[in-house]
Amino acid sequence: MNYDNIEILFVEDSKDDANLTIRALKKSGFTNKLHHLTNGAEALDFFYCKGIYSSRNQNDLPKLILLDVKMPKVSGIQVLEKIKSDPHLRSIPVVMLTSSNEGPDIEKCFALGANSYIVKPVDSDNFFNAIREIGLYWMVLNKLPG
Amino acid sequence: MLIVLLNINLEILSIKNAAGRNIMLALYNTNSICLQLIYLPLHRTTDKTDSEELIIANREIAFQNEEKENRAAELAIANKELAFQHEEKEKRASELVIANQELIYQNREKEERAAELAIANKELAFQNEEKEKRASELVIANQELIYQNREKEERAAELVIANKELAFQNEEKEKRAKELLTANRELQEAQEDIRMLNEELEQKVIERTAQLVEANKELESFSYSVSHDLRAPIRAINGYTKIIDEDYGDRFDLEGKLVLQSIIDNSKKMGRLIDDLLAFSKLGRKEVAFAQLDMNDLLETVLRELVPVENESMPKFNISLLPEAKGDKSLIKQVWINLISNAIKYSGQKKNTTIQIGATSENNMVTYYVKDEGAGFDMQYYDKLFGVFQRLHAQEEFEGTGIGLAIVQKIISRHNGATWAESILNEGSCFYFSLQKASYI
Repeated sequence: MNYDNIEILFVEDSKDDANLTIRALKKSGFTNKLHHLTNGAEALDFFYCKGIYSSRNQNDLPKLILLDVKMPKVSGIQVLEKIKSDPHLRSIPVVMLTSSNEGPDIEKCFALGANSYIVKPVDSDNFFNAIREIGLYWMVLNKLPG
Repeated sequence: MLIVLLNINLEILSIKNAAGRNIMLALYNTNSICLQLIYLPLHRTTDKTDSEELIIANREIAFQNEEKENRAAELAIANKELAFQHEEKEKRASELVIANQELIYQNREKEERAAELAIANKELAFQNEEKEKRASELVIANQELIYQNREKEERAAELVIANKELAFQNEEKEKRAKELLTANRELQEAQEDIRMLNEELEQKVIERTAQLVEANKELESFSYSVSHDLRAPIRAINGYTKIIDEDYGDRFDLEGKLVLQSIIDNSKKMGRLIDDLLAFSKLGRKEVAFAQLDMNDLLETVLRELVPVENESMPKFNISLLPEAKGDKSLIKQVWINLISNAIKYSGQKKNTTIQIGATSENNMVTYYVKDEGAGFDMQYYDKLFGVFQRLHAQEEFEGTGIGLAIVQKIISRHNGATWAESILNEGSCFYFSLQKASYI
């Protein structure tokens, strides 16, 4: 598998949420190369070119990371912490996705340097709109420094 | 004729007439003072001779001599008597002289005494005057003293009364003191009991707190899990149904399409129920951050959100100036949102209604109210009004999960206020909530 030039890295353990999210992005016209991972450990392997990603170019960075908060093993928050404390990865915008605004996750994510925080709506229309807006903002409107 | 010779040294002088005859004898004393004249009788002797006459004269003389001797003896006796008397008188006189001298001496003494007495008298008069001055001064001083005495007596009487009063008070105080001592002892005992109870309580509180913390953690993780794990499948149901509708909709007839829509609507509703339930359970755990609330400002914000544009279908708002209160801004905002959106919702089936918002102040509480002229409710179901997921209207009539008023009541009770309502079915409702005045922060 080719892991080069991945523009959107999508880390989400829920197959259903992943399907809906990917569909929403596609329907909104984002044809950027998207790579979907199902847990935090995989995400860390991806960034540090370990395991199946050992042959990946470490300097090849995605334009946007969509990171689910609640995942088994390594959670989205742990991955966020790693990314934002690494000078090499810090500038990549990270949008946190969560199933609810319950608990202290929001504060934690912003404290660690998350760029956005999206509570996935139950209603599919709202969900679709939310994903479309994320894509619009971070892929089109927000230009990376440099 | 009786002649008393007082002095024996008498001279007798015989006086002769021209014929040379003695006619009278004169008796003289030693001092040549004639004491007596004695007439001698003349005898016709013309026939008698001288001799015879001499004899007769002799006889006469002898007789007269005898008489004179008698007299002389008498005189001698008288004389002796006189001499004795004289002696007596001299004795008397010398006695008198002595007495006189004595008297003179006494007189002098008396005069000296008198002079001394005069001086003493003056001295006494002066002293008297002084004494009178003293006396009058003393009289004044006396009156003063009498007055002071009276005053002192009055004081003394007052003091006696005051003393009695003090004595009584003292007694009372002693009683009080004894009572206090007893009460103190009891208090100390009670305090000891309280201390022990407190210790037990503290222990219990520690245990309870630990249990509560544990329960809270469990509740939080439960809420967390519910919100994440329940929402995900509902989202999936909703999303996939939507995909069916979008991608395969043309393969369904009308009834099939309605079924799909029902799945979508129900999953939405379940999402809302979960959100409401979580919001409600969060209220019990959320810290209430008290602050002074400008209610007019807060209400304006809420109305801007709920009624962005005024239109015909909306009720009119009649808002009074609201006093400030003490509360958590975000929570009280939620209360206003719930009550006003309810008022709007339940007025929806009527035209030209008014929603009144106002407040009344009493003691340290402010009571706010939202009054509508909408559907109202039957007061016999009042006990269900603020219940969780309790609804007094059909879903078809008015949408809602039945959590709004439960949230209102929960928030106000966390502010130590009260929530209540009045309504007449089909005429409108009035919802009240009370908060502490801002000055009591």
